[in-house]
Amino acid sequence: MFDEVFDVVVIGAGHAGCEAASACARMGVETALITINLDLIGQMSCNPAIGGIAKGHLVREIDALGGIMGRVIDRTGIQFRLLNRSRGPAVRSPRAQADRSLYRMEMRRMLEATPNLHLRQGTVVDLIVKNDRVLGVELQDTRRIGAKAVIVATGTFLNGTIHTGQKTFSAGRAGEPASLELAESLKRLGFPVGRLKTGTPPRLDGRTIDWDAFEPQPADENPVAFSFSTEKIEQPQITCYIGYTSERLHQKIRDNLHLSPLYSGRIKGIGPRYCPSIEDKVVKFADKNRHQLFLEPEGHNTNEVYLNGFSTSLPAELQQELVRMIPGLEEVKIIRPGYAIEYDFVDPRQIKPTMETIKVKGLFFAGQINGTTGYEEAACQGLIAGINAALQVKGRPAFQLRRDEAYIGVLIDDLIRNGVDEPYRIFTSRAEARLLLRHDNADRRLMPKGYELGLIGDLDWEKFNRRRDLIMKLHRVLENTRFKRSSVEYASLSQLLGCDLGDSISLAQLSQRQGVSSELIHRLLPESIKSETSLKELESALADILYKGYIENQKIAYERIHHHDNMKIPEGFDFRKIAGLSREMVERLERVRPQTFGQLRRISGLTPAAVSTVLVYLMANKSDRCVT
Amino acid sequence: MDTIVALATPEGRSAIAVIRLSGRDSLEIVSKLLIDENFSPKPRYASLRKIYDPETRELIDEAVVTYFKAPFSFTGEDIVEISCHGSPIVVRQILDACLKLEARMASPGEFSLRALMNGKMNLSQVEAIRDLIEAQTLAAAKQSLRQMQGELSSLLQPLKEGLLEVIVILESALEFVEDDLPEYQMDEIKTKLYEIVKQIERMSSTFKAGRLLREGLKIALVGRPNVGKSSLFNALVGYERAIVTEIAGTTRDSLHESFSINGIPIRLSDTAGLRKTDDIVESIGVQRTRKVIADADLVIFVVDCSQDLTKEDYEILSEIEDMQHLIAINKVDIKQVELVEKFNGKNVVEVSAKTAQGVDDLRRAIIKPFLSRNSAAEEKGFLVTDARHADLLIRAKKEIEKSLELLDQKASEEIVLTGLHNAMRFLGEITGETTTEDILNRIFSTFCIGK
Ligand SMILES: Nc1nc2c(ncn2[C@@H]2O[C@H](COP(=O)(O)OP(=O)(O)OP(=O)(O)O)[C@@H](O)[C@H]2O)c(=O)[nH]1
Ligand SMILES: [Mg+2]
Repeated sequence: MFDEVFDVVVIGAGHAGCEAASACARMGVETALITINLDLIGQMSCNPAIGGIAKGHLVREIDALGGIMGRVIDRTGIQFRLLNRSRGPAVRSPRAQADRSLYRMEMRRMLEATPNLHLRQGTVVDLIVKNDRVLGVELQDTRRIGAKAVIVATGTFLNGTIHTGQKTFSAGRAGEPASLELAESLKRLGFPVGRLKTGTPPRLDGRTIDWDAFEPQPADENPVAFSFSTEKIEQPQITCYIGYTSERLHQKIRDNLHLSPLYSGRIKGIGPRYCPSIEDKVVKFADKNRHQLFLEPEGHNTNEVYLNGFSTSLPAELQQELVRMIPGLEEVKIIRPGYAIEYDFVDPRQIKPTMETIKVKGLFFAGQINGTTGYEEAACQGLIAGINAALQVKGRPAFQLRRDEAYIGVLIDDLIRNGVDEPYRIFTSRAEARLLLRHDNADRRLMPKGYELGLIGDLDWEKFNRRRDLIMKLHRVLENTRFKRSSVEYASLSQLLGCDLGDSISLAQLSQRQGVSSELIHRLLPESIKSETSLKELESALADILYKGYIENQKIAYERIHHHDNMKIPEGFDFRKIAGLSREMVERLERVRPQTFGQLRRISGLTPAAVSTVLVYLMANKSDRCVT
Repeated sequence: MDTIVALATPEGRSAIAVIRLSGRDSLEIVSKLLIDENFSPKPRYASLRKIYDPETRELIDEAVVTYFKAPFSFTGEDIVEISCHGSPIVVRQILDACLKLEARMASPGEFSLRALMNGKMNLSQVEAIRDLIEAQTLAAAKQSLRQMQGELSSLLQPLKEGLLEVIVILESALEFVEDDLPEYQMDEIKTKLYEIVKQIERMSSTFKAGRLLREGLKIALVGRPNVGKSSLFNALVGYERAIVTEIAGTTRDSLHESFSINGIPIRLSDTAGLRKTDDIVESIGVQRTRKVIADADLVIFVVDCSQDLTKEDYEILSEIEDMQHLIAINKVDIKQVELVEKFNGKNVVEVSAKTAQGVDDLRRAIIKPFLSRNSAAEEKGFLVTDARHADLLIRAKKEIEKSLELLDQKASEEIVLTGLHNAMRFLGEITGETTTEDILNRIFSTFCIGK
């Protein structure tokens, strides 16, 4: 019946698919990774960069759980920068630009070196499902592959349509075919499908750019790696460049808006607001007389330059004309024009926190198919889907993360709870526990879980334990090392800070003062611990101390309000049977039909008394069930 | 769980009122009210204790305090019950003190809810709670209150907007470092926040007045015999309720009557004239007068300007000076002495109970502290009546003040924002919530973001 049989089949070798397949295989289940073109594994279809605020947090979390994205970017990143360096540690985040082709090759190398992992080239045209259970997939070439679990990670390929100017054609990415049959197959299974849009800017020939006209943006001197296992960034680092659009260019765009499929009504899908096309920027922020652009070289061995900030779906000829209106690009030649792409996504309210679909057992969705955008967002879903597919195959209990444990938990919870109406991107403000979910403590938050799952190697685990123990020790030392008024250090510190420091001051207290750097604290550490402490560990320990009080405070305020938010309201629940509710309140409730108490609480016009009444009723019913 | 507090007995005047605290800090809060750090009562034993205002250390009342240790209590948490005198003033002072000590005003039904959560209730009991909440809902649904709640929301809206604006600026600065957003002006942000704090302060300051509004403003007419208290009482009430004669010592017992001025409910008491007396009946009346004074929200001290002030007048004045008071200089129709100056012209109204001259001025003077000037809230004659709302307002204010402090210390945005988000949540509990999505929406419509 099947040509080949595996435990898990992963469809698509993008950022979600690669993580999924790698995790599955390393957890010891036979895994096939099927992709349309094996040469494009781990392709960065949009800008060649990984990380950034909140996204960098995701990568650190993926790494702490035993994912691979962090390792791959650390080996192929050509410009590392830690963002928000001047702000608090909770919102600092690593970002790196990758050498696009090196990234691809390294990803493929890692997958090929993974036992139990089998790469297969092919186009999946159908999911084989029987009695609401997935059994395998069928390929275009009529091969049938059996599996206990299938992870769909098809990115923008589902029913993808590319737009440039008035031209429209079916494609999954520029130059690659879309997955039309698979999209149909999902619809047949009854999954509610919507349409989203994203876009890319033109890629330029670096030899035709007047680099001197742009402002250089160098890499960090001491690059901060993504992976906790990385000791050193080896890739030579490059410089990126910043430039600006001009009013003349804006006018030209406005004059040609009718040629943009975005504005002619051709594109129906909703695009991400945080990644607007240049057309959108010019129209929606008409009073801004220039927009920032980044020139990002795509790698060490190519002339291709990514014009970040200039995403467009205007006709190719016009793009050429437009970019030449950018100061410094007067002579430029476009290598690949930008385009907009529309694709199908499945309403993520159809999946569980494990990424498994509610409808079909063993079928998992990960990445852009769930309405997200971004490599990091995709990768973390792939990892969670992969972990859970493997756990299911092995008959072990499912794995999920809470909102206060990881950004990954926030992302998945947002998706399955609220659905999406534009491509979903992670932000730090989405996390209530932002101060807790730092990039530097991702290992302490998640590595024990990764180890338990079998995704962390022994060497990394030992290294982690040393780091964790050291940080715990640092906490004690920082609290207990005090400088009395009589000490030598006290005098010079008090002079340095220009104020009295009380009778004595601990290192912990000192670290919270304005103008005290972690380097200074390091110098003041007792000799016994100084030599084994690197700035990295010290900074992590200091961050714990810095946020402690606020986290407590935030938790109290949050818990007060969100305590019962997850409580489910049974479908078809009759609010009229609650005695204490007025007609008006019942009407409001029936109009919205909330599914959880959290949704109910946000209904406008509901009095606190009504909210409490419903809550008491729901709790009563719940305890009813517990009793019987 | 945090500690909640509420009046467990019906509101209004009663012999005994029970104030209940539930939560892990109950005992600590009460020990501060007793100014007794070592307070560790035996569970379920009642003890008579003195209750103080922990800030001023002034005695509020003597009350019976009973401790129920978790989990052997109604809610399953630590509970302390304070059975105090039923005077709304006493109740108010104790509740205020608890709120200052970080207890939170309980939401309707919250005690029962906690009981339910902690498995302290079975299903048959739930029906009863629902009735209880229903009763509270009905009370809260009273037309006037509903209007006020709506009004509160609409008054809070601009404040929430202002707060949201600041949050959006700070969040964007954090979240979109790579976009060239305009740099924000620290001073502008601080000014905005200070303005919000001021507004919230004004609103919550109407809280006290708000409660008076709900329960009625208690006013006592006091003074020497024969200065015209009963005559004024009748003039204010609008009919000949009290007996008036030219005999000093006519009124022997306190008289009460309810009416309203500009919609503000008032409970006016006429009292026996204060003087030393050998008459047993009169001296009991004088004692009662003292009690009425103690219980009043406002004392109107009546003097007679057909003669000079007497020693007794000064004695009475010294007795009421520290209270909220007005001085009614009666009998201006037959004025002999210019008394206004003797009171430095402060809180003074000249009236004649006989000709009704100045009675309207007196009415205005009575309600003046409860009416509005300046603020948006006050212009609309707005009053925060719900203790829970007032509590939320004060919490929101405190959070913003903390954030302002952090701004002064140049703390990083993510820390400053914790307070602002908390404040937003508190305000959101009154007006309906602002979600992360609202904030993001605002960011994207304000700034051009994204590469
Ligand atoms: N001319 C004049 N006479 C007044 C006025 N108010 C009260 N009187 C007279 O003063 C006398 C005492 O009035 P009451 O109202 O009984 O005085 P009281 O303060 O209640 O006296 P006690 O109840 O005895 O304490 C009566 O003869 C009143 O007619 C006023 O405004 N003008
Ligand atoms: Mg009288």
